[in-house]
Amino acid sequence: MLKTKWLIILLLLTFGLLSAQNWKTFGKELTLKDTTLISTILANPYAFIGKRVLVEGTVVDVCKKRGCWMELASDKEFQSIRVKVNDGEIVFPLEARGKLALIEGIVEKLEISKEELIKAMKHHAEEQGEPFDSTKITEGKTIYRLKGLAAKIQLD
Amino acid sequence: MKNLKWRKWNNILHRDLGYLAVGLTIIYSISGIAVNHVEDWNPNYKIRHIPVKTTFFDEAPVQVLVSKVLTKINIAEKPESYFRPSPQELHLFFKNKTLKLNIAQGTGEWEIVEKRPILYEFNYLHLNHAKKWWTYFADLYALILLFLAISGLFVLKGKNGLAGRGKWLTAIGIILPVIFLSV
Repeated sequence: MLKTKWLIILLLLTFGLLSAQNWKTFGKELTLKDTTLISTILANPYAFIGKRVLVEGTVVDVCKKRGCWMELASDKEFQSIRVKVNDGEIVFPLEARGKLALIEGIVEKLEISKEELIKAMKHHAEEQGEPFDSTKITEGKTIYRLKGLAAKIQLD
Repeated sequence: MKNLKWRKWNNILHRDLGYLAVGLTIIYSISGIAVNHVEDWNPNYKIRHIPVKTTFFDEAPVQVLVSKVLTKINIAEKPESYFRPSPQELHLFFKNKTLKLNIAQGTGEWEIVEKRPILYEFNYLHLNHAKKWWTYFADLYALILLFLAISGLFVLKGKNGLAGRGKWLTAIGIILPVIFLSV
């Protein structure tokens, strides 16, 4: 009888661990139900600045050292959106790359000067262990990104 | 007599809570050193880059392109997903590795990611990636550390206690961060 009880507890724990590893929550719980297409946001970003949205896509890159940002593929080819979170509040694991994710966040606009962009891209390249050529940056840039508040990622 | 009683309990609690804190202190201190140097290395993952050289690929629908790349590079494993950052690039995502290819040039690399054993788990706990109840457990641990610091001052009496050399060493420990902040 005692053995059966322990077996049930063990099975429940195993099931709990396995199911917990499927859709894993990062940060707060998602509050929105309806998703917005990333391509819709990027087609008319002004309409979404400051708005809270839920987007879905494949994680195509993650901050390798701190897990403080991720890049989410758009529903359209050659497009993606950056999701930035406050350092330490949410930490995206590198294993999230290639996995499906639901991200809730606020659309932000960032105006970056050429100098700031070179500095940021240099830092990014160093963190990611990638080569960097500053001569390729000739002007500043306007970036639209999500300030990530909550995420669900379909991990193994 | 009264003095002896509080010191006795102070020492008993200092000893037993000290034993309880040993495990987490080892985890937090090792992880602390590891993440302190995050600018110089990746404390969680070991990342290897292996160059790939193949032939260029003609433009095609992405599924066709993926299939051609898998055949050409002789990859039996099915990718979990794929992404095209630009018309020249194709990224294939496998478990713990990514193939990044410039299809126009036929060059690229494998990026292989491995978790640093033990250190990854230590950092996970130390940086509180777990959140939820671990937050309260870590708070409790911090309170125990605080108690250990204060109770430690009163473990010994006499020339080796706080009244003797202890006051000088304690003062140095407090003054050093103050000097650092004011310089």
